[in-house]
Amino acid sequence: MIQVLPRWLEDLLTVLSYSDELIAGLSTTLSLYFTALIMGFFLGLGFAIGRQYGGIITSRISTAYIELIRGTPLLVQLFLFYFFPYSLSATLELLGLLPLPLDWSIQIIGPGGQVITILNHRILTCYLMLGLNSTAYQAEYLRGAIASVSAEQLLAAQSLGLSRAGGIRSIVLPQSLRRVIPSWSNEAAYLPKYTVVAYFIGVEDLFAAAHFIVARTFLTLTTYLLVALIYLVLVTVISRILDYVHDRTKIPGL
Amino acid sequence: MEKPLLQVKNIWKAYDELQVLKGVSFDVEEGEVKVIFGPSGSGKSTLLRCINMLTPPDKGTVILQGTNLMDSDTNLNMIRSKIGMVFQHFNLFLHLKAIDNVSLGPRRVLGLSKDEATERALDALIQVKMEKWADHYPAQLSGGQQQRVGIARALVMNPVLILFDEPTSALDPELIGEVLQVMLDIAKSGTTMVVVTHEMGFARAVATEMIFIDEGVIVEKGTPRHFAISPETERAKQFLHRLEVLYGHHEELLEPEDKEEGNS
Repeated sequence: MIQVLPRWLEDLLTVLSYSDELIAGLSTTLSLYFTALIMGFFLGLGFAIGRQYGGIITSRISTAYIELIRGTPLLVQLFLFYFFPYSLSATLELLGLLPLPLDWSIQIIGPGGQVITILNHRILTCYLMLGLNSTAYQAEYLRGAIASVSAEQLLAAQSLGLSRAGGIRSIVLPQSLRRVIPSWSNEAAYLPKYTVVAYFIGVEDLFAAAHFIVARTFLTLTTYLLVALIYLVLVTVISRILDYVHDRTKIPGL
Repeated sequence: MEKPLLQVKNIWKAYDELQVLKGVSFDVEEGEVKVIFGPSGSGKSTLLRCINMLTPPDKGTVILQGTNLMDSDTNLNMIRSKIGMVFQHFNLFLHLKAIDNVSLGPRRVLGLSKDEATERALDALIQVKMEKWADHYPAQLSGGQQQRVGIARALVMNPVLILFDEPTSALDPELIGEVLQVMLDIAKSGTTMVVVTHEMGFARAVATEMIFIDEGVIVEKGTPRHFAISPETERAKQFLHRLEVLYGHHEELLEPEDKEEGNS
């Protein structure tokens, strides 16, 4: 006798039989996410400090960068960043020079003997562009938090003999990094979903895995619901972690 | 004769169009307590900030122990570590406990180890009677307690001079006494102080000289006794009269024996 499963469960099992593709896609998405988040944080902190405390030139450059990135679509930035080296390479060739080597890749052999591409021109473009894009947004969250620490505290630090930079490091940053967490969690929650742009230049992220599975199985609804659920779980976990960190680092009495 | 500890000569400062200081000069000898008073907006706070260059003057000279602070090759961070400053709004570091607020200077500026710095910070907190609150954060303390921590933060550096910028004017009346008491103790231990305040009781008790400033210039100088009995200028008379009407007799907040000592 044949056990008849409910239709939806049968569909789900079919989609889950592509677990290799899903896992590979998810790990690409996660590495894009964390790399961009961390790169965006450190560069963003630099731009935020530059905009808040820098001289007129540093502050203008920071502001221009932030406005340029925030004012244009991420996908357009990614395409420009992706195609520019190709146009440059073609121009070089026309001029009789050597073209840029753009078809390189770094691959490893996975546990099942399959070839896994760790890095190539496409993936590197995604890492850099997502990071550079996140930089602009994180810079603004950080600048807001830095500005919320009273300038008088920095004066007090300077009155003790600390340099301005020393005061920023030991007085302003410890407080602003605590304060930024609630608003910064916005960026941390947005970014996993922004990484889907990688699909448009052929990087095999979670979204690309979903497309692949749909093309094979035609199980559109089940596949996209499953992928949506994975993003939801990811973002929920990140939010919980940040709430916890925010709670643990609260300044008593404030 | 020995040179004064601090010489302030012909200080000018403007914020955009607004001329705040118009040629202020005075000397501070070692061990002196100089009280500066005057209407709000007269440039008192700016003057204090010009002394430690937190607000660099447009013109003039500030000389501390023979070093001209206006020289471009003067190490201002080093100079500032020798000049304590107590702020109107305390400006404690909100993310640090009282003890860490006080030990930050010794650690970061004087280069002491954590243990040495903490030990010194505790001594300073004992001086301002705040040792019991060492592990409290600023937001858990009253204004008076925060200001005493602020004073300890300045004291711990063993400064040659402490600047007080209206240290009690942001405090509730019942908290003013505890801060003034601490300041009196410090003054009597021989610390050189420049104090911007309207607390005439404090001034009468310890000031060696009082300076009345209005509209960016020194209008009148004299001993507390001079200002109590026979201020010469009309502006000083009017201002002192208004203070008396507003504040009454704050000296009541001070302990009686301090008044007697101060008057003797």
